[in-house]
Amino acid sequence: MTEVTIFVDGVAVVAEAGRPLGALMHRLGPAMRRTREGAPRGLFCGMGVCFDCLVTVDGVADRRACMTPIRDGMRIETSLASGNPS
Amino acid sequence: MRRVETDILVVGGGPAGLSAAIAAAGAGARVDLVDAGAAPGGQYWMQDPVAGATSQQAAEGSTAIASARAAGVAIHSGAEVWAAFPGGEIMANDAEGPITFQARSIVVASGAQDRVYPFPGWTLPGVMTPGAGQRLAKLGKTAPGRRIALAGNGPFLYAVAATLASIDATPALLVESGRARAAMLGLLARHPARIAEAVSLIAAARAVPDWRRGHVVTEALGEERVEAVRIAPIDERGTVDTARSERIDGIDALLVGWGFRPMIELTALLRCRHAYDRALGGWYCVASPSTGLTSVEGVYAAGEVTGIAGSRPARLSGTLAGLSAAAALGFESAGMEERRKGLVRALASARAFGHALGRLAPPPDGIADLARDDTIVCRCEEVTRGEIVAALAEGTRAVAGAKMWTRAGMGRCQGRICGSAVAEIAAAETGTSPAAAGFNPPRIPLRPVPLDVILEATRGSAP
Ligand SMILES: Cc1cc2nc3c(=O)[nH]c(=O)nc-3n(C[C@H](O)[C@@H](O)[C@H](O)COP(=O)(O)OP(=O)(O)OC[C@H]3O[C@@H](n4cnc5c(N)ncnc54)[C@H](O)[C@@H]3O)c2cc1C
Ligand code: FES
Repeated sequence: MTEVTIFVDGVAVVAEAGRPLGALMHRLGPAMRRTREGAPRGLFCGMGVCFDCLVTVDGVADRRACMTPIRDGMRIETSLASGNPS
Repeated sequence: MRRVETDILVVGGGPAGLSAAIAAAGAGARVDLVDAGAAPGGQYWMQDPVAGATSQQAAEGSTAIASARAAGVAIHSGAEVWAAFPGGEIMANDAEGPITFQARSIVVASGAQDRVYPFPGWTLPGVMTPGAGQRLAKLGKTAPGRRIALAGNGPFLYAVAATLASIDATPALLVESGRARAAMLGLLARHPARIAEAVSLIAAARAVPDWRRGHVVTEALGEERVEAVRIAPIDERGTVDTARSERIDGIDALLVGWGFRPMIELTALLRCRHAYDRALGGWYCVASPSTGLTSVEGVYAAGEVTGIAGSRPARLSGTLAGLSAAAALGFESAGMEERRKGLVRALASARAFGHALGRLAPPPDGIADLARDDTIVCRCEEVTRGEIVAALAEGTRAVAGAKMWTRAGMGRCQGRICGSAVAEIAAAETGTSPAAAGFNPPRIPLRPVPLDVILEATRGSAP
């Protein structure tokens, strides 16, 4: 098992490389974004079809956390912190 | 741009797709397989991304993946198909950008997703599908919560209970709409080979301290996340008796689902014929039981996309489709005809069991009516039941009409999540059937892709 450090809204978090980012975000959450109407959302389908788990990964917006494997040094921004809906 | 010419392109790396690829490559065809997952295996043969094969299912899967590689199958993982054109051109996208496949035949083995219906509170963080719970536990070694409620119907709930127990996260509450115990025993008596599996699944359900049969979850309560659930019994007439509802506090994860629905967007895009059967998950792609061929020449389908039946039929139908697709291209080997005949028989029996199980555990009638007027039905566009009902009152009776009026189904998920519910709401409100209400026709791109990927992929290509 490879422990790596990633950054979620600027905070360093130790995580296991290769596991889905969505699982880690769920542990930190379970909310991981806000909708246009301001409602919190988290993982729902866990398999890439509902698009409820969208976060920004290394500057690329709207990535599905549930389908993104954790990599060392990854930077995640959520719409929870910024207040901008995604 | 990467361009791959191949004999057979298999879409989906679950039991159906891997079996198809192994069979076709074994017959001598050049086979490429694309799968959205970080590793092949699909749902039943899911691979732990860190620890390797940690269960019997995963071990079977890793054997199948090794056989596919040994047979020469080129596996493209982390690649999603987002467009397909009749004539064999298929576009996928992975971390490196677009790949265009030009294939002589296609086997679609895209599997299934949890079937869900809206209810008050279902958008709260912590409310998920049972499949999401399964994947959190298997791929993420993460418990969905500390006090988990598992709800809905069908044998998959028991499988999820077993997986959660394996990571020390046994659910606190199991809420199951069905009570068909006698019918289940009758079915097992006709398929004795499945008894051992059934016994271990029932043991997993029994380990849950609070097991309510004949009940449904009617509401999830909480502010920023789920904190409690409301459950209610189903009366003799099959209606949910909300007057006798009960609130259960201290729940921080709710996994609720009603079996699976076939993932038909690719077969629909390829204009294959589809049919509707609520017991098979709703709309499914029609495939010949003796070859796996769909109504479109050169397009085969296998596994759950051809109707929910489970992993065994998925494997058998995959092998059958792979052999048939290869044979149709001239890759015949000695004894192939005999093998195909045996597969057709085994598949018919395995499907019969799966379908009977589906008929024993349907979602209760009126399940889409748990949503109130102000409950969001379309999660992407945040469209409420009231808005959809108003559109239906204006004149449309179809899922596609409700989408034009209200945007329900127009968001990123293309109606994959709300589609079953919108069809049932349309049926209840306008007196048609869910089948007559239809489904959302898929749109390109099937999965969102960056514009530069679309431009790169379509520049200089046929359509
Ligand atoms: C979340 C989930 C968990 C499940 N867990 C179990 C279980 O533990 N036990 C059990 O008995 N049954 C389980 N099932 C039921 C499942 O349907 C199995 O019966 C079996 O996995 C079906 O095999 P299949 O090959 O038809 O589909 P799957 O195994 O679902 O494989 C389909 C594959 O196709 C891929 N795919 C789909 N569309 C695209 C696309 N556009 N581009 C690229 N790839 C695509 C998917 O990512 C997936 O990897 C589960 C179902 C789900 C949805
Ligand atoms: S949770 Fe549904 S797409 Fe990630």
